[in-house]
Amino acid sequence: MDAFSGLLQGFQVALSWEGILFVLIGVVAGTFIGMMPGLGPISAIAVMIPITYGMNPTLALVMMAGVYYGAIFGGSTSSILLNAPGVSGTVATAFDGYPMAQQGKAGKALAIAAISSFTGGTVSVILLMLFAPALSAVAVAFGPTEYFALMLLGLTAISSLADGSTIKALLSAVVGFMVVTIGIDGQTGTPRFTFGSPQLLDGLDFLVIALGLFALAEVCFLILNRKDRSLENQANIGSLKLTKEDFKEMKGPMSRQSFLGFILGVLPGAGATIASFIGYITEKKIAKNPEEFGKGSVKGIAAPETANNAATSGAFVPLLSLGIPGSGTTAVILGAFLVLGIQPGPLLMTDQPEIFWGIIASMYIGNVFLLILNLPLVPYIAKVLLIPRPMLISLVIMFSIIGVYTISFNTFDLYVLLVFGVIGFMMRLFSFPAPPFILAFILGGMMEQSLRQALTISNGSWRIFFESPISISLFIVALLSFAIPLFKQKKKLAAQDQDVDT
Amino acid sequence: MTWTKNRVASLFLLILAIVYLLLSYQLPVYPYVPVDSDFVPKTLGYILIALSIALFFVKEKQTSDKEEEKIPLQDIRVLLAVGGMLLLYIFFLEILGFIVVTALFIYFCSWYLGYKKHKVNALVSLIFPCVMYYMFNYLLLIRLPQGILPF
Repeated sequence: MDAFSGLLQGFQVALSWEGILFVLIGVVAGTFIGMMPGLGPISAIAVMIPITYGMNPTLALVMMAGVYYGAIFGGSTSSILLNAPGVSGTVATAFDGYPMAQQGKAGKALAIAAISSFTGGTVSVILLMLFAPALSAVAVAFGPTEYFALMLLGLTAISSLADGSTIKALLSAVVGFMVVTIGIDGQTGTPRFTFGSPQLLDGLDFLVIALGLFALAEVCFLILNRKDRSLENQANIGSLKLTKEDFKEMKGPMSRQSFLGFILGVLPGAGATIASFIGYITEKKIAKNPEEFGKGSVKGIAAPETANNAATSGAFVPLLSLGIPGSGTTAVILGAFLVLGIQPGPLLMTDQPEIFWGIIASMYIGNVFLLILNLPLVPYIAKVLLIPRPMLISLVIMFSIIGVYTISFNTFDLYVLLVFGVIGFMMRLFSFPAPPFILAFILGGMMEQSLRQALTISNGSWRIFFESPISISLFIVALLSFAIPLFKQKKKLAAQDQDVDT
Repeated sequence: MTWTKNRVASLFLLILAIVYLLLSYQLPVYPYVPVDSDFVPKTLGYILIALSIALFFVKEKQTSDKEEEKIPLQDIRVLLAVGGMLLLYIFFLEILGFIVVTALFIYFCSWYLGYKKHKVNALVSLIFPCVMYYMFNYLLLIRLPQGILPF
């Protein structure tokens, strides 16, 4: 099947009345959840997964794409309205979005954000459509050694690029990897770390971990800040209209950042956060009047918003063509795919083209719906900020419980959820980043499998890892991506010391 | 030597690594494969030991993170109380059923955290569980625990 007819078929499913309904539900729910301070796309997708059980996979995907885009947009909304970015990818949006909102032009800022997100998203979906099949064609030839090297690269990249300390990110990843070793070993059938508990034989479900580490940990912080009422003043956002001059100003950043963001998104570990910061900085550097940045500049909102959406679609390239997530968010999306019985990877395009093109079509449609249906609803959705914190806390807990209970119909997993909620809270207190944990949890199982497959092929000889040029170069890149930031950090610390001394 | 947060965390992780390694060494041997099921856990255990030792000696950044602030004792009590409620919720979920337990949980948790409008609270805590229950059990055909209610 060629690309065009595949895409048409995808659109056919997504544009049926059911498809439209589910995209709408997804987009609105995603925006709702994403708008809550702290709850980002990871929590939104994790909470929505149970609803897709038993749904037609294509429809479920369409809805998930809606949730995903909605949650990112919701995150920008809370950055703009509250100066409280829900996710790190929208931190840069707050630099100019919040000042603009304080001038009483919150609606305008939101409209700029929505249009830039739409442009960034759409351009990079087109690029994704061009690149993913090409990469899959190469990846079909990948063996376990190449996969192992790739996943190692993904892990070291996210650890070295995470906010804060590299060592802490690596520790987080190692512990995440350890958690996935719980359960029956696939190759030998040995039960590992199950302490004789039959519930642990299958290992832990990723949803338990995602909801615990992200949603419940966030609930703890909501509880700590429960008396904060600043949210309630911002529910009124003003007009959404943009002028011709605004569009003119947005054109430059939107076209440049769509491509730059996409490229940064494809790289493992880089992702939306880095893309949005780089987008903001480059636009500020080349702007004619950089002093406007930080005071409510149109370009200052358009640049990071375009870049982060372009990067999020870019992150789908390795996910769809290699089956390897490059970030915490794509790791959870991979989990959502697996729940639906879809195994992304090089074979997805040839074996289940309707799914592959369905995903692409759903991304287009998620984007369009976000713009034409969601944006007008934003003044109403912003009312969610009026929900009193105590109520919000109880409801988020309820959704997490439903999400976990409906995986296994067993209260054992709920206790595990509670444990991971505590772990997530402690990690935040000690400033350990959680995304490497969830990524290692998802990649860990696959890594161990490919490592042992490779060594089984070679009958135990490690030389197999250094026989293919692809895996050698991937190992080198992994090593560099880990060593360079560490080196830089050291330099920075040394510089800081000198500052203190003098 | 001061007991910074990093050092506490590193010590905890070190203990975790040692326990994990001890357990890995007790894994039964399966002789017919080149790499047995204990290989990856052992490697992970040693990496964790190395990293947690590194964390112990790494210099703490001199940032005044807002999360550096101590949590007041009262807030810890609130967190524990909500945790306790959550435990009760989980424990009674299958015994009393989804609707009853969820309604009680939403009502009392919101009330405990300082929500004063009792009528709205009661209404929300009745409507939400009922809507979710109906949606899952009848529209999505996913069974949430029925418990003591007849439907």
